[in-house]
Amino acid sequence: MTATGHDEDTDPSEPSPKPRRGWRIVASVVSVIGELLITAGLILGLFVVYSLWWTNVLADREANKQSDAVREHWAKARHHGGPKGPGELDTRDGIGFLHVPAMDNGEVLVKKGTDADILNEGVAGYYTKPVKSELPEDKKGNFTLAAHRDGHGAKFHNIDKLKDGDPIVFETRDTWYIYKVYAVLSQTSKYNVDVLDDIPKESGKRKAGRYITLTTCTPVYTSNYRYIVWGELERTEKVDADRTPPEELR
Amino acid sequence: MYGWIWRHLPGNAWVKALISLVLVLAVVFVLFQYVFPWAEPLLPFNDVTVNEGMAALR
Repeated sequence: MTATGHDEDTDPSEPSPKPRRGWRIVASVVSVIGELLITAGLILGLFVVYSLWWTNVLADREANKQSDAVREHWAKARHHGGPKGPGELDTRDGIGFLHVPAMDNGEVLVKKGTDADILNEGVAGYYTKPVKSELPEDKKGNFTLAAHRDGHGAKFHNIDKLKDGDPIVFETRDTWYIYKVYAVLSQTSKYNVDVLDDIPKESGKRKAGRYITLTTCTPVYTSNYRYIVWGELERTEKVDADRTPPEELR
Repeated sequence: MYGWIWRHLPGNAWVKALISLVLVLAVVFVLFQYVFPWAEPLLPFNDVTVNEGMAALR
């Protein structure tokens, strides 16, 4: 076999003078690249499984644990000395539960803060920055919440199911706060912090009131934009000894 | 690459298959436990809050 006969076939970038050996190197390099590409594809597939399934498993487990702790806490407070007055609020464990029948996701524990490590526990967080949230018991203001649309419990996954007039119920130790949805902003910039204002003007309100704002990402599986739902407090109900839910949740 | 690993595993085909399975599971475990939780916040798929973005950092 003469080297000249194979010169056109060999890769010019291959410096090897022996064409046979050169081919073998090229072939093994190509096969390693191919295997690496297949591996990358598999890893991306696993990442999807991780994001949309495994984080939910972890977050739901964590949220259930914390919810039970809060419920236990409340039950204990009730037995020892009864209600301690409306100002009593434990913001460390979580301040209460959000019930949104239209989202069909049971109860969502609400905790302080919207940092990733809080929201990743499968809870909803109320904003402390950039605009500080008011709390439901405050006389005026906007109770602003965020939760994941996908993964990590996906507590606001069905936010698009909410329509005007749907109830949003927030349960604290002593009170049910019943809000009604009155405005939806199905897509807005992620920098639109005005939606968190005490009087959210974009929702059409001009007067101070007791509002609730739910924020999450949209479209699903991405976070290019934000989805906003506004509600206004309709009434409150005292929690009775059996924690009978208000009629909206029955 | 995978062929090279396969050839360098000890034992007969069954033993090799078993070791391969354990290796794959170990890789999946490391990915789920360490790599993905690290990578996730760096990827723009799951930010849910409104914020001031870069303006807040200036």
